[in-house]
Amino acid sequence: MKDLENDLRKALERREPPAGFAERVLAQLELAPTPKPGWREALISLVRVPSLRWATAGVVACLLLTLGALHYRRVQLERAAGEAAKAQVMQALRIASKKLNVTWRKVQEADRRPPRT
Amino acid sequence: MEKALARSTTGDHAAFGDIVREYQSMVFSMAYYFLHNRSLAEETAQEVFLRLYQNLGRIKSPAHLMLWLRQVTNRRCIDQARRMPPLPPVALDEAPEPATKPGPSDPLLSERLRRLVASLPEDSRMVVVLRYEEELDLAEIAEALEIPINTVKSRLQRALAVLRDKATAALEMSTYERPRE
Repeated sequence: MKDLENDLRKALERREPPAGFAERVLAQLELAPTPKPGWREALISLVRVPSLRWATAGVVACLLLTLGALHYRRVQLERAAGEAAKAQVMQALRIASKKLNVTWRKVQEADRRPPRT
Repeated sequence: MEKALARSTTGDHAAFGDIVREYQSMVFSMAYYFLHNRSLAEETAQEVFLRLYQNLGRIKSPAHLMLWLRQVTNRRCIDQARRMPPLPPVALDEAPEPATKPGPSDPLLSERLRRLVASLPEDSRMVVVLRYEEELDLAEIAEALEIPINTVKSRLQRALAVLRDKATAALEMSTYERPRE
């Protein structure tokens, strides 16, 4: 019995490309456009320029302050809406309680009256 | 490699040359065993490295670079294979028969196996190349080909069954036994 997997490993050994492969790739780079930097590299390169460093820091600080202020405003609005809802519930409970008291009094008065013969 | 990667991003061609030399055998071998054509494999490998140069800014680490190269080589090979005429079926009378039965690391047997691998369907061919040429495990193959691990497993089993049947028939011997379940 032979082991197919071992024979495949032997048959598919790594091969080197023809000599001068890397040099041919590098020669083609001269014709190719320069690489596109990713957004991270673009941001880092902005910070690296001394004249833009403070401007970038200022923009980032403004952005953070604006985001903070917007978040604070949203929290305040949510809190105010919660307080208004709570006040409405309390008002509804007060009205319900008054009506219950009136009904209870009427029931008690009806109980105290002597029965008709 | 991390330094070469960082320097390449700034347009340092010498550093990029170091990256090419480090990974050229991996990219070329994958393309060669997939396409079974030396000049097309070289062309494909060159395209992969040129594409890498264009996308260096997106590469985060040497590990990411290796994964990126495998993924792009796979895609480029599939594109290239679709432009090629189909390989003729592997027949017994294509090459002279060996005088004796194949021994360990028999060059004729190896060539037959390479041709059989190249005749596999595209979806399972790269699985076989990555498993036996790159020696990747199933999870690594799944990551490189961007497919679920169970798909890798089933494609590999299917490919091995086909290879076992074809190799046994082509070599006129009951050489490869099926593994016991």
